[in-house]
Amino acid sequence: MFQIVQEACNLASQSGCTYADARVVALRRQTLHTRDRAVDHYGESDDRGFGVRVLYKGAWGFASSPILKIEEVKRVVKQAIRVAEASALAPRQGGVQWAPEPAARVHHVSPRQTDPFEVPFDSKTSLLLDASEVMLKEKGIKRARGYLLAKEVQRWYANTDGSEMFSDVISTEAEISAVAVGENDFQTRSWHADCRSGGFELYDRKKFVVEAARVAAQAREKLSAVDAPSGEKDLVLDAHHLGLTIHESVGHATELDRVLGYEVSMAGSSFVSTDKLGKFRYGSDKVTLMADNTLEGGLATQGFDDDGVPGQRWPIVEKGLFKGYSTGREFAHAIGEARSRGCCRADHWSSFPIVRIPNLSLMPGKESCSPQQLISGVDDGLYFEGMGSFSIDQRRWNFQFGADAVWEIKGGKLGRMVKPVVYQSTTPYFWGQCDAVADERHWRPVGVMNCGKGDPMQIAQMTHGAAPARFRKIKVSPGSVSA
Amino acid sequence: MIFSPDKARELLTRVIAMREEGELSLLLCAERSLGTRFNGCAISQNILKFNATLRLTARVGQRRASLTVNALSDDDVLRRAVRQAHHLALRNPEDEEVMEEPGEVFSGPERARSESAEALEIPAIGSFVAEACALGSVAGVDLAGLVMVTKGLKAYADSRGGLAAERYHRTDTHITASGKKGSGWAEHQDHTLTRDNVVDCARRAIEKGLAAQNPRELAPRPMTAVLEPQAVGDLLTSSIWDWDQRAKDEGRSAFVGAPEELGKLSLVSDPAHPAFPTLSFNEDGERYSRSVWLDKGRVQQLMTPRFWAKKQGIPFKPFPSNLVLEGEGHSLDEMIRSTEDGVLVTRFWYIRSVDPTTLTYTGMTRDGLFRIENGKVTGPLVDYRFNDSLFRVLRNVSMSGKPVPTGEYLDAAMPALKVEGFRFTSLSGGL
Repeated sequence: MFQIVQEACNLASQSGCTYADARVVALRRQTLHTRDRAVDHYGESDDRGFGVRVLYKGAWGFASSPILKIEEVKRVVKQAIRVAEASALAPRQGGVQWAPEPAARVHHVSPRQTDPFEVPFDSKTSLLLDASEVMLKEKGIKRARGYLLAKEVQRWYANTDGSEMFSDVISTEAEISAVAVGENDFQTRSWHADCRSGGFELYDRKKFVVEAARVAAQAREKLSAVDAPSGEKDLVLDAHHLGLTIHESVGHATELDRVLGYEVSMAGSSFVSTDKLGKFRYGSDKVTLMADNTLEGGLATQGFDDDGVPGQRWPIVEKGLFKGYSTGREFAHAIGEARSRGCCRADHWSSFPIVRIPNLSLMPGKESCSPQQLISGVDDGLYFEGMGSFSIDQRRWNFQFGADAVWEIKGGKLGRMVKPVVYQSTTPYFWGQCDAVADERHWRPVGVMNCGKGDPMQIAQMTHGAAPARFRKIKVSPGSVSA
Repeated sequence: MIFSPDKARELLTRVIAMREEGELSLLLCAERSLGTRFNGCAISQNILKFNATLRLTARVGQRRASLTVNALSDDDVLRRAVRQAHHLALRNPEDEEVMEEPGEVFSGPERARSESAEALEIPAIGSFVAEACALGSVAGVDLAGLVMVTKGLKAYADSRGGLAAERYHRTDTHITASGKKGSGWAEHQDHTLTRDNVVDCARRAIEKGLAAQNPRELAPRPMTAVLEPQAVGDLLTSSIWDWDQRAKDEGRSAFVGAPEELGKLSLVSDPAHPAFPTLSFNEDGERYSRSVWLDKGRVQQLMTPRFWAKKQGIPFKPFPSNLVLEGEGHSLDEMIRSTEDGVLVTRFWYIRSVDPTTLTYTGMTRDGLFRIENGKVTGPLVDYRFNDSLFRVLRNVSMSGKPVPTGEYLDAAMPALKVEGFRFTSLSGGL
């Protein structure tokens, strides 16, 4: 494989390209879906090919092929150069300013104790079907679903800087859900197992059974939930729910390519303009958000990015102050940085790399604090658990989020479950209202496997760690509108 | 590479013959996509993508499993894949819902094919974009967007005699024109694409972008909304997974308690619909036929897979190939002229379900929200967030236009709609 990517770089150099890189990518997936007591779908896929990106006369060209043969490389490099010539028809003023990066050798293999591709099929199906059996025992549960994914991405990368890199990342994901049906009503409750780079050791059979029972009981409980309130409430958000809030209101907002207008037509831009760097108050002093593409088990921990830059750790928000962006080599210059943060990733061998959200985590509070303590400090509020409805504007300013399940908090104690309710806020106001984050005992990584960005759309994965946190005086309203 | 239906049929027939036992169905998907991305009136990426994948689905009685590969030029690899798919199926537990392969032969016309799109290559697309970018520079706005041409082939075969292969073209042009305080947007969705389509799209985006500058704030409230076709498509196609007959029959659907009448329009899917024709068959080798989901506002049978159709004794209605809302033919100008107090919406963004029991959605306006007063567009507004039930929206349609192709989630043709009392709930501030 290295022969193919090296040959591509050599041919590109010989053809006058000022920079080139090439990737061979082999993508392997196993997906398992269960429906009640049956396997609804089982599929495996194996997809491989290579992509070549060239910078020729100041413009980008990219071409790819599924044919992994050395004689195919010449054709693809030529095609990439032709594409670059077409890009030069409407050139960017000043051309591409490409941040330098020293040549490096990287060999990254993600941690795994039990290779999920080697786990017997029956072990996987029984993990989900046993959970289904438990869910279906609960009265009123009319549908139980399970999902399990194992994914392996191997990359062989080289560029004309002289870098040669390899990564092999295995990620796993699992989810179960139950639908309860009542009189003219139905409600769903779900549970996401740990989703990270790792093997089947992440999945504890007993935990699935316990969570299945809880999910089913709470799906049923949702049928008799009380009406959603409206007005300002204090909120306590669990780590899983916060993962999405971080992703949408901080992760996407601080991608530098968006800020510079490169995604304006589809994914959008950002309110976090470059003049805000180092000055803008993103949140309260309780809020520190660290980017970390070296986080063990992080879904964006891949050794190096598709610009050939090794993974790094840096602050995005530090004690409430906006400190940094996610960048790639094409964009670092725009904020006066000499080196990329290593966030450019492509979702496939046939895709052009773009800036993606890194592993990005809300750091735990430094003082001892449990979720129960957060709740006990709320007189009239709501507790949000899991991911629900989520929607944010194209500048990442105004958002509205719901949850998988919500409970009242009255007099410092959890109360009854609440019907669909959403909170609506703006990014700096919301993070500014954070007055406490639980400590590191309660911090956990939350995996996102389906982050969409780009045009045409590319799907990326990353991790957002968080401990439960409390937010004061946030506007909430019922999620349901009568037909 | 595989772009001839004859060669595709030949390959699939050869692979079917590799089967030693059990049943086998094959789906070949080959796509070559050529796209030009641009922003700031300059090309940022030209994209040339090609891949061809073969999905092999083996069935042994009521056991079934799939394997997908993209190494198609080596018969030894394919033979191993056939054996592996069979092996995977044998491991699977039995499922009463597994159906026999349809075994149907298709020989219909290639309705979604375009000779002119076939001839397009990256330099031509790049030149269209360069011309559009020049228009943006002259107008003093930043143009950003994508012009993409996809040349594809889908082929299906099964061991019960099923065989189908059709080529298609899909073009997607969408352009945003941004000034310092506001943006406009336009699109062209079709099977074909010309230089004039791209230039016209750029002109419409620029015109709207210039008109959208310096929007003012207007407090959100329920009000009359004239929704352009893309906005209608954004909202309606977001709900498509909910139009599910089995979920309704099992009490897991908003349609259980839905009003009997949802307005007066008809919603159909039809592979031969002139507004947006599509392939004749789906990925399981099943025939697309005309399905009516709403007949003059009355809910009809919803999407029904073959297992559920057989169990319930009702017609099979597959997930749609396209979605067409058949409007009454009013012009956008007529809708605006008849509106005393309302807004004009170019498109929506980030629509998500809030409550599946009432089909309540949230989302925001984007790239051109305008005030309508006394029958005239009087200026741009700061964007809104909405929260509303799709049922309520359909019931409150007072005027509708003629369906035109729109894009994104599903091939669709949507008319502009005038909706009374559309529930805008906050200012989004997403300029």
